[in-house]
Amino acid sequence: MNELLAPWQPTRDDPFDLQKVGHLFRRAGFGTSLRHRQELVREGLDAALAAVDPPSASVPGADAMLGDVLAFGDRARVTAHRVWLALESAHPLREKVSIFWHGHFATSDAKVQDPRVMAGQLATFDRLGLLRFDELAQAMARDPALLVWLDNQLNKKGAPNENFARELFELFTLGRGAYTEQDIREAARAFSGWHVRDGQFFFARFLHDDGDKQVLGRRGALTGDDVVAAAVTQPASAPFLAAKWLRAFVHPEPTSAEIEAMAACYLANERHVGATLRTLLRSRLFFSPRAYRTKIKSPAEFAIGTVRLLGARAVAADLARAMATFGEAWLMPPTVEGWHGERAWLSGASWLLRSNWAAELFAGQRGKLQPTAASLLERFRGPEDKVKAALLLLLDGECSDESRARLLAFARSPAAQGAGGDAALLHATVGLPEYQLS
Amino acid sequence: MNRRFDRRTFLRSALALPAAPLLGHGSRCHWAPRGDDRVLLVLELAGGNDGLATVIPVDDPAYAKARPALSAVRRGSHAIVDGLALHPSLARLALRCGNGGAAAVLGVGMEKPDRSHFRSRDLWHTGDPTFVRRQHDTTGWLGRAADVLAAGGAGMPAASIGALEVPLLLSARSVTVPTFERAEDFALGVVPGVAASERQAGLAALVGERLGDGPLGYAAATAAAAAKTAMELEQALRGYRSEVTYPDTALGRDLQLAARMVIAGFGTRLFHVVHGGFDTHARQLPTHAGLLAQVDAALAAFWQDLSAHAAAGRTAVLVFSEFGRRVAENASQGTDHGAAAPVFVLGEGLRGVVFGERPDLGDLEDGDVKATTDYRLVFGELLRWLGVDGKSVLGGEFAGPHVFA
Repeated sequence: MNELLAPWQPTRDDPFDLQKVGHLFRRAGFGTSLRHRQELVREGLDAALAAVDPPSASVPGADAMLGDVLAFGDRARVTAHRVWLALESAHPLREKVSIFWHGHFATSDAKVQDPRVMAGQLATFDRLGLLRFDELAQAMARDPALLVWLDNQLNKKGAPNENFARELFELFTLGRGAYTEQDIREAARAFSGWHVRDGQFFFARFLHDDGDKQVLGRRGALTGDDVVAAAVTQPASAPFLAAKWLRAFVHPEPTSAEIEAMAACYLANERHVGATLRTLLRSRLFFSPRAYRTKIKSPAEFAIGTVRLLGARAVAADLARAMATFGEAWLMPPTVEGWHGERAWLSGASWLLRSNWAAELFAGQRGKLQPTAASLLERFRGPEDKVKAALLLLLDGECSDESRARLLAFARSPAAQGAGGDAALLHATVGLPEYQLS
Repeated sequence: MNRRFDRRTFLRSALALPAAPLLGHGSRCHWAPRGDDRVLLVLELAGGNDGLATVIPVDDPAYAKARPALSAVRRGSHAIVDGLALHPSLARLALRCGNGGAAAVLGVGMEKPDRSHFRSRDLWHTGDPTFVRRQHDTTGWLGRAADVLAAGGAGMPAASIGALEVPLLLSARSVTVPTFERAEDFALGVVPGVAASERQAGLAALVGERLGDGPLGYAAATAAAAAKTAMELEQALRGYRSEVTYPDTALGRDLQLAARMVIAGFGTRLFHVVHGGFDTHARQLPTHAGLLAQVDAALAAFWQDLSAHAAAGRTAVLVFSEFGRRVAENASQGTDHGAAAPVFVLGEGLRGVVFGERPDLGDLEDGDVKATTDYRLVFGELLRWLGVDGKSVLGGEFAGPHVFA
């Protein structure tokens, strides 16, 4: 096993503590409450890994609720349902990975115009997102939302549409430069007739070109399945996916050594995504300073995470709207390339919107936040203790000396006194630069 | 084919009327034109506005023939030039046309129009008639203009007002364009309780810049700049006083927010506002009249407000829709998706009332008005007026109808 991905062992100098647990839940989930984090510190690394990735888990009543949501079939409800699942986080890693795939096979309802079909795609991520990548890719090649999104409806024998084939190679499996235009043209023919009817995959036999094709070195009367199989087994595929996982879970700019190690891990696990990510999530690399707070929180991580860190309950539909105004509307990624993430998440305006939303949330102006912001700090007396508590609730109890000093100054100032003083202190904590980082 | 988009066609057909004497614009005398504070607001009529019921060819017998029921819209319409009249709901816009404050560019569209709302909107937003939704560098033409302006130092060069998501039109490469629904979104919000100013000051002091160009330094610098900007903007907006009553509609509120920002001199120079509901497949007359009346009232208030604050001379508005509608009415007293249509340009001291060729209803393409003015030419003219290099934004030379002096 490569040194980087070798299991991390807590030591006396580098113990499994609140920072480690906070990091794990930020990256592999949407955060969790202070009580839960403290519990997991006591129980240790294995218990924490099991908590982000339990063997089997579902939210009671989730299926019935999805049925209700789909009966309405509108985008806002489907999106809110997804946010609710992330808020509940019965299986944090699965929720996180499904959203990762949502950004990878980025499909927008702006064009699909069928939230039920979009919900179906997300359900596929839930079902297959932590299994073998080749199976997920095969399923995506038949996914009605993706086929509509990438114009495969127009892909017919004699009049191929290359959109799907191009993105399959460029964005989903290989990355630029690992295929030729000729590969795309021939691959498009293999997907001709892969259509959608009544929201379901439909193989239009007479529109399918079953002639000989040559794609990525394979030759014959290739079908779409053959093309997907060829793509996922190309040498370029493993490092392409490895880099993407590293950017999502570890660091925005992975080194070539890290990519190599991750790609080897993926291949050693026979393209099993779950096994690969589980190795990563307990690795030295994952728990190294290189990973800690080196990413910018996505709007979902910020909004859902804030509620979860406080161990609170909030209105999913409101969170979904807030996330959209911060720039992350689930079901509506801006392009097939997905969200760009990192610094693109955080402009001056989006910091302001995040901060203002948090002010309203803590002031109780956005539905009922339970427990209330005030009740979280009321048992602490004096600015020092209140700051300490706020940092524990929201920031692993850790931040730069400068931020701590400034927060303490805030806590001592008139701004943190009187009515709403405790909520104002929590609001100030959420505004700290450290809090913008994952 | 190219002939249709020939620049000279424009110049020939432009009824380059001299600007009528401007009345009630005394403030203009005090305003010294500066290229760097000009503002463009793009108002999108979403759903496909019926161009032929907006700028009506009142004397064209083919019009009455194609629209036995809907040509009733001619009654009460407002003549702007010989043979062309604005919809009855557009009284104030017609008045502006008469004094050099508004112009219609006719037959605006593209060579290969698309009748899908989404595709057509994408083509308008990107300014790329060959655009397909797979490109990675997906940016809108106004977003690209924002990139250019940001390079010149503007802090928040563009804003989308009223929409929930940043429209493709404003998607930029280097700038993040905010969307705002309410004026309060601009303020540095605090938990209510003690004096808000105490808490605001506390927050601003909290996020001072940090050293380093890593993510922490970036987050700190961003937050510090935002807190400062927000307090400045709030200060600026606080100075806004207006005698003008805006209509109590979403469009009225959106335009008032834009006006406040323009008047505050905040430095945001590109705005996008959407007014939806124009997909009039059935019973078009009352629906369309209501929608245009909202446009007329909101734009009138917007301009009155800007004029009262000496900001009208540095503001222009483009009103467009993703497509016009089919020439022949359908069986439901409505119209179906069409192609080319007029756009409106509002400003001050415009060089004419009508630009471009009048639609030839005897020479249709698949039942639709043919485009005689490439839509990018209009963008090019607006960018020229803004002082932004149109070539870098539009990927080519698009010297449009010379609407602005």
